[in-house]
Amino acid sequence: MITARGLTKVYGSIRAVDDLTFDVVPGAVTGFLGPNGAGKSTTMRMIVGLDRPTAGTATVSGRPYAALAAPLREVGALLDAGAMHPGRTGRAHLRIAAHTHGIASSRVEEVLDQVGLAHAGRRRIRGYSLGMRQRLGIAAALLGDPGVLLFDEPVNGLDLDGVRWIRSLLRGFADEGRTVLVSSHLMSEVQLVADRVVVIGDGRLVADSTVAELLGRAGGPRVRVCTPRPDDLIRHLPAHAIAERTGTDELEVAGIGPADVGDLAHAVGVPVHHLSEVEQSLEHAYLALTGQQVDPVPEGLAR
Amino acid sequence: MSPALTLVRAGRAEWSRIWTVRSSWIFAGALLVVVLGFGAVIGNDAAGDPSEITPGSTAWDGIRFTGMFALFGLVAMAAVVATADHATGGIVPTLQWTPRRGILLAARTAVVAATTTLLGLLSMTAGAVVVWTFVPFLGLPVDDGAALVGEMGVVLACGALLGVGLGLATRSTAAALVLAIALLLVGPLLLAQLPYDWTLTVSTHLPGSGALFLIFGEGPSDDMTTTSARLTMAAWSLAALVAGGGRLLATDADR
Repeated sequence: MITARGLTKVYGSIRAVDDLTFDVVPGAVTGFLGPNGAGKSTTMRMIVGLDRPTAGTATVSGRPYAALAAPLREVGALLDAGAMHPGRTGRAHLRIAAHTHGIASSRVEEVLDQVGLAHAGRRRIRGYSLGMRQRLGIAAALLGDPGVLLFDEPVNGLDLDGVRWIRSLLRGFADEGRTVLVSSHLMSEVQLVADRVVVIGDGRLVADSTVAELLGRAGGPRVRVCTPRPDDLIRHLPAHAIAERTGTDELEVAGIGPADVGDLAHAVGVPVHHLSEVEQSLEHAYLALTGQQVDPVPEGLAR
Repeated sequence: MSPALTLVRAGRAEWSRIWTVRSSWIFAGALLVVVLGFGAVIGNDAAGDPSEITPGSTAWDGIRFTGMFALFGLVAMAAVVATADHATGGIVPTLQWTPRRGILLAARTAVVAATTTLLGLLSMTAGAVVVWTFVPFLGLPVDDGAALVGEMGVVLACGALLGVGLGLATRSTAAALVLAIALLLVGPLLLAQLPYDWTLTVSTHLPGSGALFLIFGEGPSDDMTTTSARLTMAAWSLAALVAGGGRLLATDADR
């Protein structure tokens, strides 16, 4: 369990993290969402004691990270894949971590194999791709077989296989009852794996709920319409419908169903080339929560 | 894990950190080449013209002046090792693995200082052996060797602690090296040449002057003694460590 209470970090006149309070529970993948610069990384750095909070506390299993008897055996964290000495080999990097906790060298080989780097353990890190560095950082996080895992943007630099591997890894850890906090600015990626989400914007808490609750709060399904005359269709939509232009000849409509949109288009003589129902996305839910838009509708057309 | 066990394990990790990067091996190799090379040159010269040898000298005396090279090399090595984590971002995993910063500071300081000091003393001992192989009649008395190792141990240990402290305080390899050169070489030499009493006083109280006196027995001022030279070096090392340690303990782990 990770607990943040009133967590605040101020750099000069900037409040990078502002009075954050949330819990990350065991047995679930918790997505930590927000745009770049929202304060996700700073929050995670404060959780593991790299940065000192200006106010508030962050604890893991009820204790500050630095007070844990064997932190690597309780918490595994990947915070910055580039933060390694490039002149060291991947294996040496992990062995140093193992030395700090009396972990056997055989475990180093195990995690290297687990992340698919067994063949590259003897190479210097400067020769690793970003994806390989991500994998090495994940190997270090797994070294102590911890019950709490924090991953900051873990899919950065990974290829499709790597992304799928990370998804199954996170899911597997949560299913084993571990606490998993994974930050990302890629909401679609988090939607595929997260059970819960903590959403922040400008350092402040925007939402802390299950993914299903968040999607429900953002409204029901939307209707995707492709038409060469989107403006005409928008003008004839009923008042309770909300339209959003998502392309030159494409819009999404919320508040009425696909059958109603099709009937309306037929009634006003607007040709329709495509009509389908789309499930609500975490991205739309986030934008609805923060009052932002993906692609703003021209003034006077949005309802 | 008890603090003592954490310290021991952190120390082992620090040892690995030093010897798993090439720069440390380059420093160690360069030091050996320089000290052994000078040992060979000195020994060869002495063997070629024994009349130039000061009566009562031993092979240890021949290698004594290389202590200055060892000092510069090892201060630089200590500074490079201490700043490597900040230069590469390695401080992020380092503090995740050893989040008790006081323990990390103690382990890093002790291991780096002990490693570099021992390296310097071993190099100088090897250099004395090289001199002795050229001029065996000089002898290699154990008592003289122990005395030299004791004196140079203080100089090199203070220098290593200075390098670690400057490295932790500046978090920049370039800045730490510039400061080290200023305090050990440029400052003492330059200030002693200026025609003011106060610059001579400042020069006398710089660590480079202390090292010079302890190695060669003479410094910029006649007022210097072995005790004052040792105190000067120790005070600078302590000040650098307080500054560097304070920064590690009190501030965020930025690069």
